[in-house]
Amino acid sequence: MRSIQRRLSLGLISVMVIVGLVLAQTSLWLFEMGLQRYLESGLRNDSENLLVALVRGPGGVQLDEQRLSPAYQRPFSGHYFRIDFSDNHWRSRSLWDQELPQLPQAGLQGNLQLGPEGQQLLILRSDYKRFGQAISISVAQDYTPVRESFRLMRQVGLVLGMAALLLILLLQRVTVRRALRPLETAREQIAQLQQGQRSQLDTQVPVELEPLVAQINHLLAHTEDSLKRSRNALGNLGHALKTPLAVLLSVASSEQLKDQPQLAKLLREQLQQVQQRLNRELNRARLAGETLPGALFDCDSELPGLLATLNMIHGEHLDLSYHVRPGLQLPWDREDLLELLGNLLDNACKWADAEVRVSIDEAPHSFQLRVEDDGPGIPEAQRSQVFSRGTRLDEQTDGHGLGLGIVRDIVEVWGGTLQLHESEFGGLKVLIELPRRQG
Amino acid sequence: MRLLLVEDHVPLADELLAGLKAQGYAVDWLADGRDAVYQGRSEPYDLIILDLGLPGLPGLEVLSQWRAAALATPVLILTARDSWAERIEGLKAGADDYLSKPFHPEELYLRIQALLRRSHGQANQPTLQAAGLHLDEGRQCVMRDGAEVQLTAAEFRLLRYFMLHPEQILSKSHLAEHLYDGETERDSNVLEVHVNHLRRKLGRSVIETRRGQGYRFGASPT
Repeated sequence: MRSIQRRLSLGLISVMVIVGLVLAQTSLWLFEMGLQRYLESGLRNDSENLLVALVRGPGGVQLDEQRLSPAYQRPFSGHYFRIDFSDNHWRSRSLWDQELPQLPQAGLQGNLQLGPEGQQLLILRSDYKRFGQAISISVAQDYTPVRESFRLMRQVGLVLGMAALLLILLLQRVTVRRALRPLETAREQIAQLQQGQRSQLDTQVPVELEPLVAQINHLLAHTEDSLKRSRNALGNLGHALKTPLAVLLSVASSEQLKDQPQLAKLLREQLQQVQQRLNRELNRARLAGETLPGALFDCDSELPGLLATLNMIHGEHLDLSYHVRPGLQLPWDREDLLELLGNLLDNACKWADAEVRVSIDEAPHSFQLRVEDDGPGIPEAQRSQVFSRGTRLDEQTDGHGLGLGIVRDIVEVWGGTLQLHESEFGGLKVLIELPRRQG
Repeated sequence: MRLLLVEDHVPLADELLAGLKAQGYAVDWLADGRDAVYQGRSEPYDLIILDLGLPGLPGLEVLSQWRAAALATPVLILTARDSWAERIEGLKAGADDYLSKPFHPEELYLRIQALLRRSHGQANQPTLQAAGLHLDEGRQCVMRDGAEVQLTAAEFRLLRYFMLHPEQILSKSHLAEHLYDGETERDSNVLEVHVNHLRRKLGRSVIETRRGQGYRFGASPT
């Protein structure tokens, strides 16, 4: 979709160019018409002067040289005449060797090329009767200077028009930008929303945008609310199912079933399966994934609590540390990220001898999460199996496979990648790369 | 060791009560959060097992109130809500350990054992060690100079309490409060009998009598 700004500019340019050209051409034409009419009256005057200069002399009709304008005497002066009688015609001296053609009928005509100098002539032919014979007088005037000045005027007009167009475009850009600023603000806020820097759009917007912003805010609140509700409902469901499961597990390993070892084993295995399946699905269902654009994970405030919890569960002998730039915030749901890091770290703690380290780095287009331990690690040949579906390798330690399963689910939902390497501490290094969300 | 179990699911509570009693713990059981707030503060428990989904008052709220009242008893949270966010909340409210449902009973017993030792400054080893004795809590017997000595349930409970409080003077009433639940009649003569049995099995010097004060376990060996 093209931007509104560009559309407006294009529309404006085409309208301005068309209207400008039509207007300029019309006004030039009208101006030229007016000028020709003015020149025509001058020419008519000239032709009447010529008529008056015709006198009856001793050898018939002759031209009284005294009454002629000197311009008719100078060659190519720009003023010419031709007088046609019924049998012959006279030409002005200024024509020199050129012939001024006679117009087919009385009237005015422009654009006549004449002479070596390529003068453009405006000719007026008038018919009279004098001394009993028909006389046709054609008077011409050089029109070239007028034409030249017209061309100059047109060029100046074109330049001025272009400048005006540019100015108008510039002003229009400014105006449109001002008018669209609320839209631009909304766009920026949506980008911030996606990067998790805000959770709602600003409601101080023009009337036209109000419904849009209100609707987006409503949807955001609704999504957050329904996520909260569904998490709560899942928590309740989990509680309702897991407590009886705990009873059954307890019964399965109680004294009452000591005489029935096979039955006890069967019960335990089946209950284990139910438990694993239940945990996995409940955890998956809890994921917010990409649904909540306003989500944010603040490393400084969340990681110490998480590490303290892990220390509490796995004992104080483990040295848990994190290496994160102060103030780093990750644009994902807090609970999801806690679940991801919690499970990874929990797993690392189970295998570690003394040290577990989590580090988070920023790259231009992604975040890198690394969880390392100094435990035995996983042989390279078996690493690919750990995260493949249905593997048993990771289920040797209680809850181990389950945790990594949910890690894989989360990474998949976020479009990230997960790799296993050998850590420099000697144990396993889980490397997760999560692409930044596009704003 | 006297424990408080706060759990509203009756069948689970029954199972846990039976299991914990078999492990030699004196256990009181409550199902309502409001009762738990009061009783947890008024009775001298050694450890509290707290479910989070309680009627009356949510478990986390109960825990916060205890901690606000400076109750230092270790608390193990038992819950079906096992997301990491909730675990962190539990820790922030002042929990000492977190066990998610469903769990194997053995897992719970081990956690309780570890938590009790930790709260008494003892290392988490396979056996409980004090004054040259090694107490195997799983099998409820004690090793002395490489020889295994069998114990009755009552002797085991008493010895475990002594071994978790070595070199401390423990009065009879204190011992009675921590070895019997709220419903058992406390008879100090019974305590004396068990102390004598332990002395007979492990040597006189193991438990010293401080007249008018009580008993002292693991005093300088003679």
